[in-house]
Amino acid sequence: MNKFMTFLENVLLPIADKLNNNRYLTALRDGFMVALPLIIFGSIFVVIANFPFLDRILSKSAYQAYQNALGPASQATLSIMGLFVIIGIGYKLLQRYGGEAIYGGIVAIASFLILTPQTVEKVAGVIPAASLGAQGMFLGILTAFTSVELYRFFVNKNWTIKMPQGVPDAVSRSFSSLIPITLTLTVFLIIRILFSLTPYETVQNFIYTVLQEPLTALGSGLAATIVAVILIQIFWFFGLHGQIIVNSVFDPIWYTLNNQNLEAFQHGQALPNIITKQFVDSFLVGMGGSGMTLAVVILIFIIGRSRQIKELGKLGGPAGIFNVNEPIIFGLPIIMNPLVLIPWIIAPVVVTIVTYFSMATGLVPKPAGIIVPWTTPIVLNGFLATGNAWQGGVLQLVNLLIVMAIWWPFLKVLDKNYYEKEKSGAQ
Amino acid sequence: MKRILLACSSGMSTSLLVQKMKEAAEKRGIEAEIWAVAQDKAESEMSHADCLLIGPQMRFLKKKLEKTAEANGIPLDIIDPIAYGRIDGEAVLIKALDLIGE
Repeated sequence: MNKFMTFLENVLLPIADKLNNNRYLTALRDGFMVALPLIIFGSIFVVIANFPFLDRILSKSAYQAYQNALGPASQATLSIMGLFVIIGIGYKLLQRYGGEAIYGGIVAIASFLILTPQTVEKVAGVIPAASLGAQGMFLGILTAFTSVELYRFFVNKNWTIKMPQGVPDAVSRSFSSLIPITLTLTVFLIIRILFSLTPYETVQNFIYTVLQEPLTALGSGLAATIVAVILIQIFWFFGLHGQIIVNSVFDPIWYTLNNQNLEAFQHGQALPNIITKQFVDSFLVGMGGSGMTLAVVILIFIIGRSRQIKELGKLGGPAGIFNVNEPIIFGLPIIMNPLVLIPWIIAPVVVTIVTYFSMATGLVPKPAGIIVPWTTPIVLNGFLATGNAWQGGVLQLVNLLIVMAIWWPFLKVLDKNYYEKEKSGAQ
Repeated sequence: MKRILLACSSGMSTSLLVQKMKEAAEKRGIEAEIWAVAQDKAESEMSHADCLLIGPQMRFLKKKLEKTAEANGIPLDIIDPIAYGRIDGEAVLIKALDLIGE
């Protein structure tokens, strides 16, 4: 068993290392981090605009006016999050190369806008908001990567305009980026023109059809989600931060699915997706942290007899309410502990399946596309995620009981082990 | 004055440890500034730290952060998983002081 563990660790650590130190994935993750405050801001106002019962208390026109008044908060942030993610990626990627980061941000966003349709139903001078949100997410990410690479390539060519001595530094800096930006944007303009000659008409349309649609269709399925969940759990089992590693691959898909739901939710249409960013964050992480360890903490208070376990419950409990569970993961310990491997992997998979089908059958509303901060405690978390639906909160409680039932026998054995060790040690 | 920087995924779980480390430092009468940041902030924060400790779940970042640490001339290490699980502020503080070299 030990040899096998060492072997797996030797396989997993380099994977985690590669995924996390890959400059594109790092820029992608940090780019989403840049957009996160805006995403949360927008989410807060979606929640406020859709408070339960308001539609029954207020007259129809008053409710409409209320929603219209709050609408711009999310429409200017959450709905067009692609825009901010692109700036973030461009900035972070160029920063990593040691260039002047802000130019990375603007060259990325300008390149993206060049590729974006600029007419809506023959009306010129408009950019469809949807292309800045879910629809343009993949194109935006790819454009941010390639535009910064091109920009850097042209900077390295040193075709920059050299300023004579005595010119203030800031002035010569603004000129030094002129040629690389001009060349980079010209390349994207040519790409746009070339695509207008194809049946796809726009690059957006092309990327959406050949890349984004198939990938999101795959990512929205139950099977892919279970694979992601198992991967997260296995990484954590070896003491590596599973979400950080897996999210860097899945986030573009999960956020895209999320924004599709948000668009539908805001227009009062049926929600298209079950699997979204918030499905994962609320129903898999939002129950005490990865692996739903809040259930373990509660079990400790119910059946714990050994001093070590009880102490851990007190230590890890308060943080667990806010979904921080490193004390439990490293303290129980869960890492490298064959005794808990089975519930550690099985419980999240069972919860994923239960949550998926309770939404597929309509028992619980699907996630509304609102991004709930991951530290939001259970019940409230599920309530907000499903667009202020009490069923979302109840589902989290049901899931909690399921996890407790799966863990019960295993925690009992572990506790007994510790208890007997403590007893024999005391004698 | 010892300046100890901790980093994990979002600076949440290490901030639990920061509290305990501060208590331990106070008990020993050591003047220390201890703070936790998310991993993407770690590189920029290193310039005003004497050492960097990384949460064990983020140990795959060591290689990447090592370069910046070297440039700043500060040591770094990964927090012992057992001390991390117990939120053992004293043990981690001792390790930090060891790293700084006193």
